[in-house]
Amino acid sequence: MATLRAHGIEAPLPGGFEGRIFMRSSIGEEAPSPVAQFATFALPEEVGDFGGGAVTLMGADDIFTTLFEFGPESLGTRLFARQGFPRSLSPDNFLPYVLRRGLGGQSGTQWFFTEAGRPFTLYVVLGSHARRRSLVPRVNGLLANLAISPSPEPSLPSSARWN
Amino acid sequence: MIALAIVLSIVVLLLSVLVAGLLRSHADILKALHDLGAGVGEPTGSDPHDQSSARASGPQGPISVPLTMGPPLPGERSSISAPTIAGVTPSGDALAVAPSGSDQLTLLAFLSSGCASCAGFWKAFHRPDELGLPPRTRLVVVTKGPEMEIPGEVTAQAPPGLPVVMSTEAWGDYEVPGSPFFVLVDGNSGRRIGEGVANQFSQVAELVRRAQVDAGEFAEGSRGQPHAEGLDGPERELANDRELTAAGVLPGDPSLYPSSLADVCPPDVGDPRPNRTPIGMAN
Repeated sequence: MATLRAHGIEAPLPGGFEGRIFMRSSIGEEAPSPVAQFATFALPEEVGDFGGGAVTLMGADDIFTTLFEFGPESLGTRLFARQGFPRSLSPDNFLPYVLRRGLGGQSGTQWFFTEAGRPFTLYVVLGSHARRRSLVPRVNGLLANLAISPSPEPSLPSSARWN
Repeated sequence: MIALAIVLSIVVLLLSVLVAGLLRSHADILKALHDLGAGVGEPTGSDPHDQSSARASGPQGPISVPLTMGPPLPGERSSISAPTIAGVTPSGDALAVAPSGSDQLTLLAFLSSGCASCAGFWKAFHRPDELGLPPRTRLVVVTKGPEMEIPGEVTAQAPPGLPVVMSTEAWGDYEVPGSPFFVLVDGNSGRRIGEGVANQFSQVAELVRRAQVDAGEFAEGSRGQPHAEGLDGPERELANDRELTAAGVLPGDPSLYPSSLADVCPPDVGDPRPNRTPIGMAN
């Protein structure tokens, strides 16, 4: 099983999944934060944090998942009061109107939580709401093995550079 | 005369010492080979491949030397499987690419930042519009991992927007003999349908085009479209017309009006199947 590991997130990928874990480029004074994206289809090089540019490519049997970390200022807020990662989702958790971008036939779910002292949101899109009963077990297969560790210390740059 | 005899004697003596040294060295080598079990023949007269006699000879017997040709592939893989490639990007992010399970072709370019023959490919990738790859073909560059490559060098060579995975494991999974090396994966079947080397990317692109055409022909030919899709009446006729036109059989073609059985099945007909270009790259 291929495993992705970066920025304090570890994701063993079930068969058919691909993904990436990267640091989201910061805007203005915003601190850069990690984003993990997983999909059962070929992810384009440029994908929005919540699947913009990717969800339109989904087939009925496809899944797109993003794990987005918020800044430390979100810690302790009511939105992130839930402790722990949602490891097992139910088909009833998926609703067509939860989608960030409403596309016919698709459905989604979104969860806010705190894991290992880090505030995250998990957003999952199914290619077909009608097939959610067969797709959700595959989503759970991905979520079951995801691991989040406490915020990694800022690492030194991999190559020398002048300040 | 006496001086000459003395000189000759000294030369003969030196040569004797040299020959004796060589013989001693040769004997040492033979003894070492014998200890490793690689001797030719067996002084005891037993079969050198007979393990039981080898064991019976005790510590003096030949020692079996295991010979391996790289790590064994996991049971679920074969020489045509296309496992997911997981590694890091040159910037340190994690990236996994699954060539299987999609409806497109994935061209994996196994390159190194330092190899001279890879330089032309890195350069070509900076002009994606001129690569000439057919539509629905995804290009992914795979280098060895950061423990064997310098990420900064890879970053300097890789064009922006091109997925680059640094993974030494992938080179083992795909049995890559060296760089540059290309592997073409059909996402539908999840199999490698071509692999090999080339001098220029235009050669690779041409081979990918051929493989794509062949894969499409095979898929269409094996599907039996008109029946499988339940076509009937005018739609079925239209589908038949399209197939015939594509095969070069136009309205009025004599083959459409056979006058005897011999016109349909000539006695000297060879293999009626159309020639197909073999899928795969020169290797």
